[in-house]
Amino acid sequence: MAAEGVEKTSEDASSSGKVCTRFDLEKETELRFEVEAGEAADQVEMELLTGMAEVFGSELNRNKKYTFGPGSKIAVFTWQGCSVNLYGKPEVAYVSKDTPMLLYLNTHAALEQMRKQAERENERGPRVMVVGPTDVGKSTVCRMLLSYAVRVGRRPTLVELDVGQSGVSVPGTVSALCIERPADVEEGFSVQAPLVYHFGSTTPGTNIKLYNKLTSCLAEVFSQRCEVNRKASVGGCIINTCGWVKGSGYQALVHCASTFQVDVVLVLDHERLYNELKRDLPHFVRVVLLPKSGGVVERSKECRRETRDEKIREYFYGFRGLSFFPFSFEVRFSDVRIYKIGAPSIPDSCLPLGMSQDDTQLKLVPVTPGRDLTYHMLSVSSVDDGDEDARKSIVESPVCGFIVVTNVDTQAQVMKVLSPAPRPLPRHTLLIMDIRFMDMK
Amino acid sequence: MADQNKPESADNFFNEILSPCELFAARSRSHKIPARGQKDFYPDDSEEQKQRLQQRLDEHWSLISEERVERLGNLVKAVWSPSERIVELQTPAGKFWQTMGFSAEGKQFLLPEEALYLMECGNLQVFHQDLPLSIQDGYEAFLSSDSVSLQQYQVFGHLKRLGYVVHRFDPSSEPSPYARQLNLPRSRDRGGRQLKRKRSPSPAPTSSKTAAASQAEEMEEEDKLPESHLVASAAPQTSSSGAAGEVQARTWWPAEVPERQAGQRSAPGSQRWDFSSICFPDLGSAGRLAPLDASLLPGGVTPGVCDVAPWMRRINLRKVKMSPKEEERERRQRRRDVNKDKEVQRCRNWAEYHKLLERRQAKRQGRPAHLWSGEVQPLHDPTRPISTAELLEKISVIKSTDLLEGAARLKGSEEWRICFNVYQPDSVADFKKSNPGKPYARMCVCSFDGPVPDLRVIKQLSFQSGDVPVVYAAVDHGDISFYTFKDFQLPRDIYP
Repeated sequence: MAAEGVEKTSEDASSSGKVCTRFDLEKETELRFEVEAGEAADQVEMELLTGMAEVFGSELNRNKKYTFGPGSKIAVFTWQGCSVNLYGKPEVAYVSKDTPMLLYLNTHAALEQMRKQAERENERGPRVMVVGPTDVGKSTVCRMLLSYAVRVGRRPTLVELDVGQSGVSVPGTVSALCIERPADVEEGFSVQAPLVYHFGSTTPGTNIKLYNKLTSCLAEVFSQRCEVNRKASVGGCIINTCGWVKGSGYQALVHCASTFQVDVVLVLDHERLYNELKRDLPHFVRVVLLPKSGGVVERSKECRRETRDEKIREYFYGFRGLSFFPFSFEVRFSDVRIYKIGAPSIPDSCLPLGMSQDDTQLKLVPVTPGRDLTYHMLSVSSVDDGDEDARKSIVESPVCGFIVVTNVDTQAQVMKVLSPAPRPLPRHTLLIMDIRFMDMK
Repeated sequence: MADQNKPESADNFFNEILSPCELFAARSRSHKIPARGQKDFYPDDSEEQKQRLQQRLDEHWSLISEERVERLGNLVKAVWSPSERIVELQTPAGKFWQTMGFSAEGKQFLLPEEALYLMECGNLQVFHQDLPLSIQDGYEAFLSSDSVSLQQYQVFGHLKRLGYVVHRFDPSSEPSPYARQLNLPRSRDRGGRQLKRKRSPSPAPTSSKTAAASQAEEMEEEDKLPESHLVASAAPQTSSSGAAGEVQARTWWPAEVPERQAGQRSAPGSQRWDFSSICFPDLGSAGRLAPLDASLLPGGVTPGVCDVAPWMRRINLRKVKMSPKEEERERRQRRRDVNKDKEVQRCRNWAEYHKLLERRQAKRQGRPAHLWSGEVQPLHDPTRPISTAELLEKISVIKSTDLLEGAARLKGSEEWRICFNVYQPDSVADFKKSNPGKPYARMCVCSFDGPVPDLRVIKQLSFQSGDVPVVYAAVDHGDISFYTFKDFQLPRDIYP
């Protein structure tokens, strides 16, 4: 998409020694800029000079410098017109008139109408599922709709089902987060007491049964919360999903719609998916097709992996690695029990009579600690395995945190872990993830 | 021999005192009834047999009509008091005292059936108004429907002659099921009463209430009392605790109740959005968007009018790349639009839709929904696997029952009651009336003409009897047969 009508007025060196570029935006246009990815890249600072503007639904403060790290892709949108200064050297920066923000805002207005009706009639608010292939801006649309909802005084819930690029917790998890204030322009939503379930892998395809099970768990918990919390009920939820829209991935979407009893499905830029959902979801579910923004860029595999890594680093060290100081200590093998969810699948003919494959996919398999555990992320389950019942419920229980194995000493039967909290571990049941994290920075 | 005796006995029928030669003859007489085999009675229509049978019959009659001779000194004297229906001993009792009779207020008494039996045995002479009673008098005076009936006496006598110790059964002496359950030791008090073997209630039905019977009833009531007390005291307790629970529930969750109701009202998907008034910017179905109401938007946002049309051209229409396998699957399940279905169209929300899907799922799994919707449902859901033994258990419409099952709730009947405790003959040597121990069996007397005891009666009586078996003595004009009903298990061939 070409940048039309760009008004690049001045370009001079600022006091901080960085290149300063000024952009004057007309009403309902947006400034898109990307910060170069990679270790050596510089940060870019942004300042709103006049007028009003927002980034993904969160308003900007005037005369405050916002810093964006390498790899950031930002769109500054204005409803009335504004002028913005960029300090530093963005990879690209252009102004676009061609933005679907109005459509998104209209979507928000419709949802808000539903919330009003829900409030009036003492019903539950809209439950929205955002679907679409990868790289169409699903998470961004979610963020915008949530920010708008909070700005009009609602308390919506974000349900994050994208196990690859979780906006709430580390990758490999599904989670729910109650949103109480607009997303921070730099950091995103403040993550306070999210409800996180262990999935263990970055794609739902590795264990689709578990994925669907966790979706049901989240739906169940959310419904319970709605029953006791009127505000949460009216606020409804916005469900972010994976970009996998074929085969089992599609079935998972339909399952999610069914368990959450969604009212609205927003399909981003995928007509075929739109038509399929219209066909497979009952008529009382409103399926809406929305365009993707021209500013959305495709992310490469490496880029995705980096974001994942960044997310895990953020979990341990805080945003930009500044605010948290994790602990490193040794854990004896005998003190913990490590499990993997899902036994390797076996042919049906080898199964005992009357048992089906899904039983094995939800089964806990004990893992003997060994050298190959190194760098794996482990979820600390909130349930301790006691009897058989407790063991069954581990799969369906939320996790209280994550640790990373940094070193395994098979001789001494201990492993060294990176943990956000000091020793001892709060629980002794650990679930292993496929995801690895090397603490290198 | 019989021919010889006959005229003599006829002559001396009213003679109280016998001459020495008569005494001698009486002593040397054989008292045995000649034994006969069954073959002797097998009819062969011959005159010879007829004669022989007649002769035997005569012999029999003469034998039983023969006057028995006892020494006056050997007879224990007793007096019949009809008002109390009891026999009081005047002279010291004989050996029978070990197993019969009871003492009260320093006197020794016999129950009428015991007295009659002893009279028949030639151990007792009972006077009434200073005149000795004959055995026939005894039968007439002692036996009556409101104390001991003839049938009961026949059973009593039969068992006594076989050597058993037979006592009247006293329901009040039986520990209550509650006491039995607690395994309480017999109370002292009861033991004491037992010592003086109190006047037991007559085993006959108490349609006309004699003093003894009413007394016994009082006893029974007394016995029941603790239980009824228990029940009575338990009932208000439970009710009060129930009420307390309710009150507690109310005080504990005062705020919860309206919230709950609110939650119920907003039960998942119970409302229906009117999407004709709530308009989404849908590129799939072009529609003009109304100008936005400022109240719906965050402050400071003043958008212009949105036009969907230019976006519609830009939507992603490219074909999805699919592997042959996926395409194959896609073709196979070329699903219809769910919304073309009439039933789906009728669903107004997710709850109804889920119900519909559930119903269909059930149908697909081979359990016709109409069978499961009514009040009467099939015994087993075929989709649910179950072991053979469990299945057999489930489909056994007539359940096997334990004899004691539910017996506690049955009320006793007037018609059927346990009459006697029976102790084994070999226990006679060290038998104590004060502490008779556990009976060998209990007798319930019934007539051969009467009805067979039904299940209710059997249950009730065996429950009353506890762990002592109840024997039903059926009297057929002097012939007595004994029956018991026992629990048994139906054989089971399936073992899991």
